[in-house]
Amino acid sequence: MSSEVKEFKIKWGMVIDLDKCTGCGACMVACQAENNVAPAVDGSNKLRSLNWLKVFRLSNHKPFPDHETVYLPRPCMQCGKPSCVAVCPVIATDKREEGGIVSQIPPRCIGCRYCMASCPYHARYFNWYDPKWPGDLAQALSPDVSTRMRGVVEKCSFCHHRFMSAQAKARANGQDPMNLPDGAYVTACTEACPNGAITFGDLNNPAHKVHELIKSPYAFRLLERLGTDPQVYYLSKREWVRREGDNYLENEKTGEAVIK
Amino acid sequence: MDYSKPVDAELFPEGCERCSLTKFTAWMTVLGLIFLWGLYAAVRILGFGLGETGMDDYFGFGLWITFDLAVIALGAGAFFTGALRYILNIDALKNIVNLAAVIGFLCYTGAMLILVLDIGQPIRCWFGYWYPNVHSMLTEVIFCITCYCIVLILEFVPLILENRQLMKSRFVHALAHNFHVYMPIFAGIGAFLSTFHQGSLGGMYGVLFGRPYLFREGFFIWPWTFFLFVLSAVASGPMFTVLVCTLMEKMTGRRLVSWEIKQLMGKVGGTMLIVYTVFKCLDSWYWAASLLASEGLTFDQMFHGWIYGKWLFWAEHLMLIVPMVCLLIKPLREKPAVFYLMLLLTCTSIVVNRYVLTVQGLAQPVMPFDSWYSYAPNWAEWASCFLVFAYAAMVLSLAYRYLPMFPQEEELNRQ
Amino acid sequence: MDRRGFLKFAAGGTVGLVASPIIWNTLYDAVYWTQNWGWIPRLKKGASEYLPTVSKLCPSGTGFLVRTVAGTPVRTLSDRNNPVSHGSMTALAAAEAELRVSPARLKKPLRRSPDGAYVAISWAEAEKLLKEHMQAAGSSVAAFSGDPTTSINEVLSAMLYQRGSADFYLMPDEEQPAAAAWTAMGGQGRLGYDIEHSDCVLAVGAPILESWGVVAANRSVFNRTHPAGGTPAQTFVYASPVQNNTAAGADLWLPIKPGTEMALLLGIAHLLIKAGKSGFAAGLPNFAGFAAAYTPEKVTAITGVPADRLEAAVKALTGAKKPLVIAGSALGSGGAAGPVMAAIAVNMLLGSVGREGGLVDMPFPSPVVNGAAEYRHLLTRSLVRYTQSVAAGKTSAPKMLIVYAANPVYALPSDAGVRETLKKAGFSVAVASFMSETCEACDLVLPAALGMEAFDDVLTPYGSGLTTYALARPVAKPFAEARSAGELFIALAQEVGVDLGVKDMPELLYKRAYALGAPFRAMLESGTVHTAVEKGPVSPLFYNWEAIKAAASAKAADAPLQIAPVVVLGMGTAQTAIPPFATKVVTEYQLAGKLSVAQMNAATAARLKVKDGDLLKITAANKVETTVRAAVFEGVMTDTVSLTAGLGHTAFDQFSKGKGANVVTLTSISREPGTNLPVWGNADVNAARA
Repeated sequence: MSSEVKEFKIKWGMVIDLDKCTGCGACMVACQAENNVAPAVDGSNKLRSLNWLKVFRLSNHKPFPDHETVYLPRPCMQCGKPSCVAVCPVIATDKREEGGIVSQIPPRCIGCRYCMASCPYHARYFNWYDPKWPGDLAQALSPDVSTRMRGVVEKCSFCHHRFMSAQAKARANGQDPMNLPDGAYVTACTEACPNGAITFGDLNNPAHKVHELIKSPYAFRLLERLGTDPQVYYLSKREWVRREGDNYLENEKTGEAVIK
Repeated sequence: MDYSKPVDAELFPEGCERCSLTKFTAWMTVLGLIFLWGLYAAVRILGFGLGETGMDDYFGFGLWITFDLAVIALGAGAFFTGALRYILNIDALKNIVNLAAVIGFLCYTGAMLILVLDIGQPIRCWFGYWYPNVHSMLTEVIFCITCYCIVLILEFVPLILENRQLMKSRFVHALAHNFHVYMPIFAGIGAFLSTFHQGSLGGMYGVLFGRPYLFREGFFIWPWTFFLFVLSAVASGPMFTVLVCTLMEKMTGRRLVSWEIKQLMGKVGGTMLIVYTVFKCLDSWYWAASLLASEGLTFDQMFHGWIYGKWLFWAEHLMLIVPMVCLLIKPLREKPAVFYLMLLLTCTSIVVNRYVLTVQGLAQPVMPFDSWYSYAPNWAEWASCFLVFAYAAMVLSLAYRYLPMFPQEEELNRQ
Repeated sequence: MDRRGFLKFAAGGTVGLVASPIIWNTLYDAVYWTQNWGWIPRLKKGASEYLPTVSKLCPSGTGFLVRTVAGTPVRTLSDRNNPVSHGSMTALAAAEAELRVSPARLKKPLRRSPDGAYVAISWAEAEKLLKEHMQAAGSSVAAFSGDPTTSINEVLSAMLYQRGSADFYLMPDEEQPAAAAWTAMGGQGRLGYDIEHSDCVLAVGAPILESWGVVAANRSVFNRTHPAGGTPAQTFVYASPVQNNTAAGADLWLPIKPGTEMALLLGIAHLLIKAGKSGFAAGLPNFAGFAAAYTPEKVTAITGVPADRLEAAVKALTGAKKPLVIAGSALGSGGAAGPVMAAIAVNMLLGSVGREGGLVDMPFPSPVVNGAAEYRHLLTRSLVRYTQSVAAGKTSAPKMLIVYAANPVYALPSDAGVRETLKKAGFSVAVASFMSETCEACDLVLPAALGMEAFDDVLTPYGSGLTTYALARPVAKPFAEARSAGELFIALAQEVGVDLGVKDMPELLYKRAYALGAPFRAMLESGTVHTAVEKGPVSPLFYNWEAIKAAASAKAADAPLQIAPVVVLGMGTAQTAIPPFATKVVTEYQLAGKLSVAQMNAATAARLKVKDGDLLKITAANKVETTVRAAVFEGVMTDTVSLTAGLGHTAFDQFSKGKGANVVTLTSISREPGTNLPVWGNADVNAARA
């Protein structure tokens, strides 16, 4: 019915420790600046502002004073079995390159938004208008990521251009571009997080910190039960936080539900 | 020249009376104004971007997709009636097949028009052919709908050529004759293409395994929604044709298609309705009772508040079951009021089905910490739908006035 | 026409069209057009450089790398080699490359014409105006600075002092009440905090993970003490009325009624004394006696902190080896000295003064410009007292008023008298980078370069436990006609005959570095940051229970509803407003379209008879009314409404203007008993469904 889980030798992944995130938004700012996402005049309208990375506020649903909050940064999950790739009619999004990053090619996109409908994480955003950089703001565009045009879908790319440049650097230094050292390639959000809540690396590489972190008993992924096999992991010592990561029936416990 | 007849009477179908040109022009002006309103919206949307609509990043699909799916389902009368008439040779259907073809043509071209507005990059619409993703149900839809649209044009053209004055030309006469000869082939191709894209439209939703409201298991590569969409289209398409026909009769005051033919169409649609209703109810039951639970969700979690409440779910199902039962009972279905009402309810159920799959399917928050947001189409979306309504009404009015759409008309209206 | 003819016609037409280049060329071109519309900006290519410097817009003076492409800054990136931030960067600093070119950025000197409109003038004209008015003003000149860490303050204060005016003021911030508290408790140096080496931090009111102190450094400590997926090496307890960003990092949240911080700290002191924690200093018996009145029952009643959490907080402190208690305000200005005094007393009880991971008694920097104000002296001078006095006519208005890097019109409550002072001043000059509310109230507006565009410095911001010194280096050309404010003031001083002892900014910075023993050349050339553990003379601290008692006698809030402001640094400061690239950081529970969102718990909402999404009219004690949208959020103290600060701008650009309400306008200034400090930030209000 849909494509199967794709495996690669390198699998870039993120581990976000939710107990460390305080929701300051530095990751969101860095992401926009790095990827030339145009600013929004009213960014409080979350249904119409383009965020490759969005921070959600979670609640334990208890009344005051037993209430607890947690902030959850949501990049693209770079699913192993992406719901979006199979549905795109024009192959504007694909998962086939080493690293397992789900690509998105705006010049190919026809803007049908079927991928947005398919993504349960709402990781995909549409250019409802042409992007605008009022006044002189376009001067601060970074040279690495092309600006998009109206009418196309875009999403987090795990700062793919940084992967490219890290590989180029490795080649220039005579190192193996397929075996980058931990930290040689990190995303803009990882770098910007003042709390170090985001760890980025190759999930398959034992020399990378993320390789160990995903084995933590506190690790979970969002909506694992749907079978999307995300490459983004979350950590929390709190049971209620882990429970917010997926849908569970009342009698089910986290981690026990059958994963498709 | 006979001055008691409208000035354009020479163009009318043989032996048929039509209203005065002044009255007709007034009617067309009203439609024209609606058309212009829609055109204004369309120009804004194409000029400034889809931000002019009420859609957003949570509701990437909205009124337009609902509209497209609904008219494509309701326009299925064209392929189904055509197939029955030309392939299975149910000759009686020749009395309504012209109308069915025109409605199909209008529904599909209207849907295409809306799709041009709906995709963000209409200039790239041909990418679907050039860079097709064979795994996508939408690719299949793009292929079949565009191809079928061409077939519908080919089915509509001969009717135009049959205009009384045009037929006087030898070339046109020959051309029309040739078209007629090939009509069974068109009907065959149309039936094939239609079945597939009706199904694929349903498949589009069923394959979305990230959306528990929509996801369905299925057979081979096709989720159950694939088959449900085919069934719902063949059930509602003929019914919609009858409803449009009846509406035209009420508006023109002339009888166009005999009651027997309408009953026949009702029988065809009704039979399909039984099959659809059974499978639809089975599907809903399995989804609610088993499929959702496997994803850690409950039936209740699929609904929220008033606009996304359960009433729509129950209404959709009731509007299938009640017509099914009423149409099965002979004394009831022979009462015109009941008959038409049941057809209307069935069509409404199909529209509701397309709406909930499109809008509620997207509204249902999958991440437990996400929220229900509401979507309301804005004026620009409504206006562009009305653009299509106005366009369809104008073409249908012209076709009725000048083309021999209804072979029975002259006989039924003979005093 | 026969059948064959028809088929020929159809096939021929189709083949002809397909064989012609019409279709294919059009399609090919179409792909090209849709990617290259002329109005979509092109990327600029060029050599990239990553240059370390510091932010002068972020109040904590975050160090960062400015990435320039062909000389233009395009990104600010965290700098892992920075010894203060260790690679942590605030959301505000992350937005600085784009702020540099934001629509609100001042491009040219502007002069207000008689009809109120601003007219662009040349720098020569501007300088002439400045000089004329400065000379004409004589000693009747005042200056406000909104940047407490810059050496430019010395230029300004020296210019004023040498011309016979003592009216140089820093904008109210966290350090002024803290300095008053530290002095009251016997402190002689500068109050510092060694957060890094503490194993248990209790922050009362102070949002240390979002906006209080050297926040980038605080967060780097949080990062290092909380390894991902591992066991934290530091316990963090946080008391605040709202579960804000800082609360999200806390192991224990103490929900507290706004303005009752002192009672909480005294209650903790009482429990600590009972638990045998009684670091000895003069006045302990009297203090213990006073604190004994703050029984857990009483503290719970006053503060609303649940008894079990109070107990847990005390347990965390007593169980820790190196506990540290920090008090501060939510707003970052207008705080009282009382809570800080109480926090100092608690630290004294815990033995957390002068030891690793405790309070630090740091030496004050000495001025390097001739006749400049001493920093310690500036901390005792209150801008609000001055403006209130001018507004009330008790002090004569200055003939010339310079406002540097400050936006007092927006940042201070309306009864601070800032607008009146600006109106009464003979000639007002704003030296700023962005078109703020204050700029819009001044006669002359001069565009100042940012930290990344000119020489400037960051000297030990408040909240640090180390002496730190960083240079802001010009890694990019000033935007448009912006100029270095430091050079502008030095030139002005020279024009009016003031002998500063420095001829330009580099010399001033060199002298500052030299005085600190910092490696100036390395700092200049490679952006090195100087840090030093400096030990001042040990202060003879004592439990000044009388000062504490006086401060604790402040009138308690009596309105049925309190406002609790929440600062989100990503949403900018009064000087920057909301950076263009931070509007998306503003959440739906902070702003809804044009309306501020008021968060409250379900109990409060029920009492106010509002539901989530309803409009709510808030009427403050000062009669200011504002309409907000209600949102139910259980992380807010009962009978308290949380509003986000940084909204309600009337100046700047489309990214900030006309969005929500400025929470500061709801608050009024009162005097703290004992210290007589002007305090504000919490507000008694009434609210009803609109």
